[in-house]
Amino acid sequence: MSGLLDPFGLLRDAAYGAERLGRSLIGQDRIRLAVTGLTRAGKTVFLTSLLANLLAAGRGRRTLPALEEVAGGRLRVVRPVPAGLEGLPRFDVAAHLAALAADPPAWPARTEDLSTLELELELDRQSVLAGLLGTRTVTLELLDYPGEWLLDLPMLAEDYAQWASATLARMRRGPRAEASAEFLAFIESLPPGAPAEESLVRRGAALYRDSLRACRDRLGFRFLQPGRLLNPGPRGETPLMWFFPLPQDARGGLATLVAERHAAYVETQRREFFEPYFRRFERQAVLVDVLGALHAGKEAFEDTAEALAAIANALRYGGGWLDRLTGVGVSRVGFVATKADHVPARQRDALAALLGHLVAAPQGRATHAGVTTSVHALASIRCTEDDVATLEGRPVAAVRGVLLSNRRSAKVYPGEIPLRPPEPGFWAHGFFEMPEFQPPRLDAAGGAGVPHLGLDTLLAALIGDVL
Amino acid sequence: MSDWQPPRGPRIIPEEEAPAPMPEPPPSAGPKVIIEEDRPAPRLDFQWEQAVVPVAPTRPSVRWSGIGRAIGGLALLGGGLAALDAANFVADQFARGAMQGWATLGVVAGGVALLGSGLWREVRGLATIRAVDRARAAFARGDLAVAKAEALRWAASVQEAAPLQPAIRDARSVEELAALLQPTLATLEARAAAMGRTAAMQSFAMTAISPSPGLDVLVFAWRGVRLVRQVASLHGLRPGLAGTVALLRRTLLDAATVAATDVAVDAAARALLSNRLLEQFAGEAAAGAVAARRMLRLAKVAAEACRILPPG
Ligand SMILES: Nc1nc2c(ncn2[C@@H]2O[C@H](COP(=O)(O)OP(=O)(O)OP(=O)(O)O)[C@@H](O)[C@H]2O)c(=O)[nH]1
Ligand SMILES: [Mg+2]
Repeated sequence: MSGLLDPFGLLRDAAYGAERLGRSLIGQDRIRLAVTGLTRAGKTVFLTSLLANLLAAGRGRRTLPALEEVAGGRLRVVRPVPAGLEGLPRFDVAAHLAALAADPPAWPARTEDLSTLELELELDRQSVLAGLLGTRTVTLELLDYPGEWLLDLPMLAEDYAQWASATLARMRRGPRAEASAEFLAFIESLPPGAPAEESLVRRGAALYRDSLRACRDRLGFRFLQPGRLLNPGPRGETPLMWFFPLPQDARGGLATLVAERHAAYVETQRREFFEPYFRRFERQAVLVDVLGALHAGKEAFEDTAEALAAIANALRYGGGWLDRLTGVGVSRVGFVATKADHVPARQRDALAALLGHLVAAPQGRATHAGVTTSVHALASIRCTEDDVATLEGRPVAAVRGVLLSNRRSAKVYPGEIPLRPPEPGFWAHGFFEMPEFQPPRLDAAGGAGVPHLGLDTLLAALIGDVL
Repeated sequence: MSDWQPPRGPRIIPEEEAPAPMPEPPPSAGPKVIIEEDRPAPRLDFQWEQAVVPVAPTRPSVRWSGIGRAIGGLALLGGGLAALDAANFVADQFARGAMQGWATLGVVAGGVALLGSGLWREVRGLATIRAVDRARAAFARGDLAVAKAEALRWAASVQEAAPLQPAIRDARSVEELAALLQPTLATLEARAAAMGRTAAMQSFAMTAISPSPGLDVLVFAWRGVRLVRQVASLHGLRPGLAGTVALLRRTLLDAATVAATDVAVDAAARALLSNRLLEQFAGEAAAGAVAARRMLRLAKVAAEACRILPPG
């Protein structure tokens, strides 16, 4: 993509490739697992479960049977790599686990900043000469971040005019128009050639932010840019984020200012977020809250699909000459429907099938670049049991769990899960918000991992080949 | 009957609800949350801790690499043919006379016994090296029982650590155990460093008087191997040939990782290109000073490779 235009990027890629290659030659593989997911997709919970269960597996617990099988019993020890000189917070597994296990339990709050953790897996070698060669290590690099920021990725390839017209077109469509009415009225009312008056800009930005918030929280929409306006991070809002889309024909000081801020914002996100963490990675888990999107209605569902496609378009899936030369780049991508414990066992295949349709475009792109892809349904932390409910006098498969809000046991019938994007008639039931469940009883120290569904299969598909 | 379809919309059904007479929800109404039974429910419990308890470890599958197969084949051919030959020969000798027969059998049995005991020592040597790995893994896992057993085995084989044995038996936690071993390990480290200095002086002297660079390399390699074995025996390891090779290999690998991990991308790339393994241990050993410095380094890395506690 931008590789050819950026000679330093090329050099860095080459050095990165050489380093990874060298490491794998001496048996010290390093793998960056990019976990991508829109906001509320379940990234933080996924990372917590992945870390807790891998650490438990390193202690000999059989928390990840499918992974254990591909590792052939060679996994010896799993340990977090001690902190080095990173300028980023560490992903605090222990604190997340403790909060989940506490009474009353708490799910992680919305993520507001980047945090990283590296996990070192020590393995016996497979060869008969293992005694002579000693052990091998595989280091997994993991990153947690606010899901909203991911939507800044498609912005990197657009200039202000393109971004503004695409964004306004989206805003004027369907239910977004109603949620953004105030902002749309504001830009309509701007005089042509409006000056860069501070109070005007801030009012516009505030209205724009409110409309983004309404779209996210009330309508379940995800294709909302810029991400930092929704989730500004630990430092709070900065003037850099105070820009908004203006119609194509807008001129004057205001239009110039927002266009400048847009360019500076995009540049900052590129430099601080995407270059260091998403330019290069070897494996990717794309987490999607399929059920949430389905329950949020037709427009939100389509919006989620559009957001996923836009993000995938902006990521490099290799296939370029440099990637071939250095032999690095993305080699496996797993598409994951999270929170699979919200549906009974026999509907989980349908959930995965539906996800397959939802991510058809990104999956096609990755496969085309020679990446191995797979589709999964997974619950990072299993919170329900399968049960049978009676609806209109008939038994239907449902799940039973304890609601987080009032500690009452309830059965949830998640509705029919269509195998492909549903026809218009399907959406008649309207908006439904899945209640949050209480996590099951957990060991606060996390010594035995946490109950999950399908995490082991996903990991076997993603990193099984390097174990 | 079969034309009844479950409702398409999702919904929440409170648990203790009477199943039969349910008011038909109006078709357009969305799902609702109805809680009838106003009693907090306990958290779900999947008995996860019990479900994941470790079972007997599966034996790791072993892959026979090309070279492994070749070595195995050679061993089988050599050993098998020799055994057949010897058996035939003994039978022939018995045919000549009982006296010759017994004498030959004695010779063969003695030879086999010597060979066997040699092999056994090799295997034992290799096993002691593996014990270091087991101990380190136990410390890393926080597995007190195994760590204790390994520490006791170690204390029994290291003179300096013998007095620690009762304290080791009483240790309550892995951290406590580690703290107990630390001073002795530090002493051993100091002694290893001293050995390294001796070896450094010797190889400096030898390379200074040796007539050819080729010979230098040989001298250096020989002294290096001896040094590694000395350091190993300091730590209670008695590596045989295979054990020494394993230890050397690990020493080299550790030396390489030191270079590869602490500096970032470019340094690792450079390490790859100018191959530090070769640079450190074969290359220009001719310069005596360089050789000496390398000996010191080798002693340090070897000592680290033999520690039953992970260094640092
Ligand atoms: N039942 C169930 N709920 C889950 C699971 N994973 C996530 N959730 C729910 O989804 C919510 C969001 O999960 P997070 O992991 O915090 O989402 P995120 O992707 O980190 O979101 P941002 O930080 O906003 O980007 C949690 O608060 C849980 O209520 C799961 O495996 N099972
Ligand atoms: Mg999060």
